[in-house]
Amino acid sequence: MQSVVITVTSGKGGVGKTTCSANVGCALALLQKKVIVMDGDIGLRNLDIVMGLENRIVYDAVDVIEGRCRLRQALIRDKRAPELYLLPTAQTRDKSAINPQQMVQLCDELRKDFDFILIDSPAGIEQGFHTCLAPANRVLIVTNPEVSSVRDADRVIGLVESQEKGPAHLVINRLVMSRVKRQEMLSVDDIIEVLSTEVIGIVPEDENILMSTNRGTPVALNGRSPAALAFHDIARRLTGEDVPLNTQQPTSFLQRLFGRG
Amino acid sequence: MNAFKNLFKGRNSADEAKQRLRFVLIHDRAEIPPGVLDLIKDDIIAVISRRLPIDRNSVTVNIDVVGEENRLLVDIPLLADSRRKVDGQRRKS
Repeated sequence: MQSVVITVTSGKGGVGKTTCSANVGCALALLQKKVIVMDGDIGLRNLDIVMGLENRIVYDAVDVIEGRCRLRQALIRDKRAPELYLLPTAQTRDKSAINPQQMVQLCDELRKDFDFILIDSPAGIEQGFHTCLAPANRVLIVTNPEVSSVRDADRVIGLVESQEKGPAHLVINRLVMSRVKRQEMLSVDDIIEVLSTEVIGIVPEDENILMSTNRGTPVALNGRSPAALAFHDIARRLTGEDVPLNTQQPTSFLQRLFGRG
Repeated sequence: MNAFKNLFKGRNSADEAKQRLRFVLIHDRAEIPPGVLDLIKDDIIAVISRRLPIDRNSVTVNIDVVGEENRLLVDIPLLADSRRKVDGQRRKS
């Protein structure tokens, strides 16, 4: 299988890029894919703590690029899935520590060993974002059903297309169906209409997410919570499986059990 | 009810979050990656166990902030045999 580099980005901060990267990575790994999730946010790393692997870091991606260690030494194996690895980034450096060309080289090296390389991009449209975009084969744009993040998503979609990295795929995160029904939140269809971009996943608001980040155990690893199911659906779509998108209602485990999913 | 829950689930997740944050911030501020401590621990175990019987599985190596300073705190439990020996010597003297 040809390996795929997927960059997860958003424009606006705090919409769930890191949660999405961690969980989609876990879900892909549970589908028996060889997966590496890479933290692209130099100086503000968080993927390690969200995944609960923070106490195992010795080397990071900047150490690899600057020749202080071999690539293999910087990879952290997540034993909770068959083939899941984290490549952390440096916490005490800044965006200029890795340039786009170096990022492409690093990913080319990783392509030899992995099916999926997920890059958790920093928020914004500055250098760090462009560095993470450079090696991408596919781009996931995370947005919330809320005006500022949708607007920023549109800006990022434009940039992705202008770099010929499109078409971008949207992940609509933290949707609250009851509020959509009360017409006090943008619906999936509203967002699709406004952005005219394909949606690859709809992740419902889920209180389990906070508890899972508290503990460093991504919901997709063992949970059947609504968000976990949504992340598993995204992973299956990324592997090419045709999983219908339910734009009306986020599916729960029980609904699926009874064939309504 | 909370205590009942905790009995089954262990520590609540907010406590766990706080403890993980405290740990990671100490390391961020000291600019020492956490995994380095595990390597140091292995080194210490190798050196000390050449001279003394120690309980390898209970050795801890942590960074802690004491006042304004970062300190490396190493705790190495000696094995029961050696403890008895030390006690015995003390009694004689």
